[in-house]
Amino acid sequence: MPNRPAIVAVGRTKFGEHYEKEPEKLIEEAWLRASEDAGIERKDLEACYLSDYFLPITNKLGLEEGFLSELTELHVPMEVTRSFSSALSNACNAIQAGRYNIVLVGGIEKMTDRWDKIRDDLMLLEDPWSYYAGCTPEANHELMLRAYIRKYGVKGEDLEKLDIALAQVSVKNHLHATKNEYAQYQRKITVEQVLNARKEARKPLGLYDFAPISDGASALILTSDDVAKKFTEKPVHVLGFASATDYLTFPARQDLTRFTVSEIAMKNALKRAGINLWEIQVLEVYDQSTVMEMISLEDLGFCKRGGAWKSIYQSCQDYRGYYEIDGRRLFVNLNGGLKADGNPLGATGGAQIFEVVKQLKGEAGERQVMIDGTPKYGCVLELEGFGTKGYVYILGGTSS
Amino acid sequence: MSSEPIERRVSYLGDRLKGCRCLICGKEYFEIRDYCGSCGRKSFGKMANIDLFYDKGVLEVCTLVNEPTNKFTKLGSYVYGIVSFHNGKIRVPCRLTDRMIRQGEEIDFSAFEGREVVPRFRRRYSVDRSDIIPTISLAFTFADEYYPHQEYAVVKPNKEYDAPGIVGYGVYTSKFRIKEGNITRSVPFVDEDAITAAVEAGKLALIHSGVDSALVGKVYVGSESNPYAVKPIASKVAQVLKLGEEDEGVQGVDAVDTEFACKAATSMFKDAASLVNYPKANIQYSMVIGADNSQAAPRDCPGGELDLFVGFGGCAYIFGKTDLIAEIEGWYSCTSDTPDFWRRDGEPFPMHGGRFTGDPAYFKHIRKAAKKLMERLGLKPSDINYFVAHQPNVQFPVRIAKELGFKEEQYLPSLQVANFGNTYSGSSPVGLAAVLDIAKPEERILIVSYGSGAGSDAYSLITTSQIIEKRNRQKMPVAYQAQNPFLEYVDYTTYRRLKLGM
Repeated sequence: MPNRPAIVAVGRTKFGEHYEKEPEKLIEEAWLRASEDAGIERKDLEACYLSDYFLPITNKLGLEEGFLSELTELHVPMEVTRSFSSALSNACNAIQAGRYNIVLVGGIEKMTDRWDKIRDDLMLLEDPWSYYAGCTPEANHELMLRAYIRKYGVKGEDLEKLDIALAQVSVKNHLHATKNEYAQYQRKITVEQVLNARKEARKPLGLYDFAPISDGASALILTSDDVAKKFTEKPVHVLGFASATDYLTFPARQDLTRFTVSEIAMKNALKRAGINLWEIQVLEVYDQSTVMEMISLEDLGFCKRGGAWKSIYQSCQDYRGYYEIDGRRLFVNLNGGLKADGNPLGATGGAQIFEVVKQLKGEAGERQVMIDGTPKYGCVLELEGFGTKGYVYILGGTSS
Repeated sequence: MSSEPIERRVSYLGDRLKGCRCLICGKEYFEIRDYCGSCGRKSFGKMANIDLFYDKGVLEVCTLVNEPTNKFTKLGSYVYGIVSFHNGKIRVPCRLTDRMIRQGEEIDFSAFEGREVVPRFRRRYSVDRSDIIPTISLAFTFADEYYPHQEYAVVKPNKEYDAPGIVGYGVYTSKFRIKEGNITRSVPFVDEDAITAAVEAGKLALIHSGVDSALVGKVYVGSESNPYAVKPIASKVAQVLKLGEEDEGVQGVDAVDTEFACKAATSMFKDAASLVNYPKANIQYSMVIGADNSQAAPRDCPGGELDLFVGFGGCAYIFGKTDLIAEIEGWYSCTSDTPDFWRRDGEPFPMHGGRFTGDPAYFKHIRKAAKKLMERLGLKPSDINYFVAHQPNVQFPVRIAKELGFKEEQYLPSLQVANFGNTYSGSSPVGLAAVLDIAKPEERILIVSYGSGAGSDAYSLITTSQIIEKRNRQKMPVAYQAQNPFLEYVDYTTYRRLKLGM
């Protein structure tokens, strides 16, 4: 990919409930951290790309750019899209086109401000016809799991293992989050807890299978390759990125057991990055549910169709910090994933990027993964809606 | 707060489950499209409209929802899933309705998946009392349970009659019952009301009659429990059942609601029959529906005595001059201003005049109408095979039948109040349907309705030979609904909750 954009700084807030903070306070916090990280001044910014999934609904905020303009006293071009990844896409395109050299990408969400109506909003935005029929934000994940079980004929002992494997996804992500000071849930859980919550709910998935509702913000500074060196010795490059789109109505899609968007975006992102799948060592997937993490491993090509649960199950019998897939190591959701790190929609992608950047720079502290040194390549998958949009980013550290 | 345009658009597609098929590649879509996504511009004008209203689908996958979104909380827990039609060509989201999930009940999802389901027309979710009532047919029940799948086949008429009469009919009561003492009463599911019952009854009548819905020129819906003070049930019936020719989202049919307590429907029988008999009207068929989620105050409140008798259901009749199952021989109606039962505007429950509802009201009017009609037609009780009276309870119809000189074999077949309760506007029409279900050709039926306020309509009907051949077109006759292995009995608290609805 020509004119590789470089991430020179990242910043984020803790995810969770921020009752006392206005949305703009959160983005301010994330942006200040990123700017300190790289020693960037607000006047250096040539444009801002923001994302929030539904601040206009949760907080009755429109023209979110205006708030940022007030905070930074900047009058540069600013645009708002729905996900951090979509904002980053626009930023990358602009940098690659040579339009700007230094831009801010930020994401924000304030979901707990609309606690009582949030599930109706989420469902209606995600898939209106399903909402009208009585769907909940959880139900589509469960239907996907049911479709998966039926398609691959998983039963008996295998079904028990699959159920445990999904529980292990959650346990593993919670374990990772214990080392993440920004995570919403920095505590361990057990497989029994996950299974009991399902039993209590009398459903295929329970409380511990789903990512929480969160507030939070994240930000990064993206520059052109040339300019990057002014701010950091260790820029992380966007080697390849791609996105894809699918139907809004989940039942109407061709295949209920996969997210086509992830498959397409990954294929194109790899092609642009010019690396092989298994050169990726660190992966952040969009685990809105444990099922999503399992399915994503298949969608992205790391596991065979119908087989991801086996790799998860085996890896988690004696978990060593990574999934072992066909003898190869894959570090997945080191920040705790959406499950434990939190999922403030518009900011979530920023936290995923944040984690991979930190890992590639060797600045992830207690969470740092070492594979013959710091990892070279990392990958982020972010989805919008229930797989209606998919974004894949392939990032490379200085050694890449 | 509701958005009227959104409500109109969602209902327009969702009530009938409208879709389309590309005539080039055969791809099908839920929702109407001007062109096929795969074939592109060349498919413009080559999209055929289809709908899934009379279709059956397969429940592909399902799960349990026990923490619904806000608008669905009154449904409690329910099974939710994905239904496919036409071998997976169309897939839609699905809520299983008519199924109460008990506290702690474990659902074996694999036992549900793969089973055939039928779309049901229901309330979509709860809204504020002042809002438009949202409806949808993305609610389903299993085809091998209470409500079987029935194809709607239009049958070309082959016999013309001189006088107008009944071409077909349908009775709909839900599968829920409350049983107290000797009386069993039908109870709506929480997403049902007089509107959904009217649509269901009309649907079943179309199936039974084989009449092309596009040829129905007028529909009357009699009800005293329309959830709207202003807005007809009949317009919903016309739209959902596609009565009259559809043109740009408008149905070429006259639709009107009528109200006269329990005779709101029977009163219109003569109007419907006259209309199809009037050459210049150019109306081949007309439909009359009586539907009620019969209202009653809670038992310990004023007017609460009614709570022991009220039922739920709808009954629809199609009138015409071809392929009749019963000809109308004559009628007589009478009216007096007798306030024995009433409900003031804005009040949720009716009041009644206690003892006053008997002699000066019910008996006086039914006696008058029955006697006058028999006198005019020169009939003795022995000339009549079946007698049908309005049925607010078991005692009243039996007493008047005996007084008029009818024997048990003449009045018992129509006596359905002990099976369904008083279905108000649907009460005597359901009794008539029960008789039509079993009558032989060339039998005479006398039906006398009663509506508080007060008045009665008496009709003499004579069955035709075609009553037999049409009978097997209906899988849901009255007896099937009265004695069904899938009936579900609920306690008093549940009954009140269900009746109150969403």
